[in-house]
Amino acid sequence: MKDPLPFDHRPDLVLGRALREALDPGDDAQLFTARVLAGAEHARAASWDAVLARWARAGVAAALVVALAAGYFVGHATAGSPTAVRPTVSDVLIAPPAHPGEVEVVLASVIGNN
Amino acid sequence: MADLPLPPQPARQVARIAEQDEADLVARAVAGERAAFGTLVERYAGVARRVARAVLGNPEDADDAAQDAMLSALVKLEQYDARRPFGPWLLRIVANAATDRRRRRSVRRVEPLDVGLTAGGARPDTTTERRALNERLRQALAELPERRRMAVVLFDVEGYSHGEIALILGIPEGTVRSEVFHARRRLRVLLADWKEEG
Repeated sequence: MKDPLPFDHRPDLVLGRALREALDPGDDAQLFTARVLAGAEHARAASWDAVLARWARAGVAAALVVALAAGYFVGHATAGSPTAVRPTVSDVLIAPPAHPGEVEVVLASVIGNN
Repeated sequence: MADLPLPPQPARQVARIAEQDEADLVARAVAGERAAFGTLVERYAGVARRVARAVLGNPEDADDAAQDAMLSALVKLEQYDARRPFGPWLLRIVANAATDRRRRRSVRRVEPLDVGLTAGGARPDTTTERRALNERLRQALAELPERRRMAVVLFDVEGYSHGEIALILGIPEGTVRSEVFHARRRLRVLLADWKEEG
């Protein structure tokens, strides 16, 4: 292991071997691979759950919008024309009767009974 | 230091293995093919775990970080540009995952050195000697700045080029050269001392 020139572009094989062994994780490579693949399956299932949850949220939001729109249109249709004015009680009492004779007949029968 | 029977060095093994089929593997993994993702994991598990361990020290934390990175890569696979090498792309995710985990860790758990090692105690056999050297190397790595650690591991252990490491660490290539140089200088002193002691 000679002292190298600065910025030697060749790998130092001796140092490399020594470091490689020092950092070597051991002979459990298959175990590690299995662990990563199991994690991938779990992540995939979780991501599907996330997709479905996203869809569910969007579905609920869309249903709310549809319900509000339907409520608005139904209410609008049953409310009738906004220009139509309903007669009040006082209007009915003040207005001239459609059949004027009926009131007099009723009054006369009431007075006659007394 | 005695000549230790270390395992053969697969120079540039990870970066060079069948790059042409990696785009295909990625495409199949994106399509949901479990086996394709499994092949990618098998291919890069070693380097990912070593890089994470260089950052975190603790092997369990390193494996957790490497796993998080692999799963994060799976989620981001569609963003991977198949015209570029897969290794540096993945290792950037690994490096970020390890760094994030180290930052989140409130108390750094440093396993103290064996008293016998620090005191230069007797080394009865080669296995013990090698184990002691590994421990000292890990300790020496832990003393280096994090980026320096990753740079020297990626260059001297994993065989990536300065340019690839620059991509992985998100720093200029010249900075990578400097980091590797300074890390080597420190680690070589350690190894030389060890050799003299042995």
